[in-house]
Amino acid sequence: MNCGKCLEKLEGFVDRELNEGEMAEVRQHLSDCAPCEGLFDLQVGMKRLVKRCCDQSTAPAHLRERLSQILG
Amino acid sequence: MREEAKEAGLGLPEPVSLQPEPQSAGAADTSFNQEAIGYLDTLYRTALRLTRDPAKAEDLVQDTYVRALRYQHSYRRGTNMKAWLFAIMRNLFWDRFRGGRPEALSLDGDSEMSLYDTLPDVGAQPEADVLDGIAAQEVIDAVEQLPELHREVVLLVDVEGFAYKDAAEVMGVPIGTVMSRLHRARRQLQRSLLGYAREAGIVSEGKGESGE
Repeated sequence: MNCGKCLEKLEGFVDRELNEGEMAEVRQHLSDCAPCEGLFDLQVGMKRLVKRCCDQSTAPAHLRERLSQILG
Repeated sequence: MREEAKEAGLGLPEPVSLQPEPQSAGAADTSFNQEAIGYLDTLYRTALRLTRDPAKAEDLVQDTYVRALRYQHSYRRGTNMKAWLFAIMRNLFWDRFRGGRPEALSLDGDSEMSLYDTLPDVGAQPEADVLDGIAAQEVIDAVEQLPELHREVVLLVDVEGFAYKDAAEVMGVPIGTVMSRLHRARRQLQRSLLGYAREAGIVSEGKGESGE
């Protein structure tokens, strides 16, 4: 796998949306190619950062209460 | 196996059914209700980021549950309830707050993947550790500043862990559209956050621009 192909597959790799063969190919390329690995680290870091920052909010208690009544 | 994909319900019968199916409509279905209320926090935080307003988010979530109850006969037991609820909320959001669902309007013209147009210049990438210096509120702001079509796909895939195919079901678009919107959204996020990092002095001038 060359860098162009790797970059094309990288988001799918980060999202674990590739098939096993493709996952293995990308993994192999990343272990051989520091620039692509750096890009991978950045993309994974971005994804984790976004998740961590956006998944903290919880529903207010009064909403939960109201919905519990609605749902009986 | 993919943890996030598992969480989103991959491995369930395909396709995830969002279509009505006749079923005996009975009295209050407590197992349905219990499972549905289990998604309250995840629905609420997504609503909060979509509407950017706690009061609107509450209304949106409440109306989502009211509608889910009304149409629970159309939920096929054993399929992905999370995706079903998100699809209800997503449609309500677009109908109520944005004056119609975007796929019907076909405005975004992004159904084709065009990665080679947009490949970043690998040499210009900053190190991933610049991300450590970015404040949570900056990230939330950057997400909230994305156009809704891009924001919703980031919320579904990156925050809530939906697989592409489940996000595609929720959004009512092909998987390729999910991928291209996600790609654009992430480029925009990266630009915003690295711009912030540069201003804050976390990353030096001249680094962090995607080559275009």
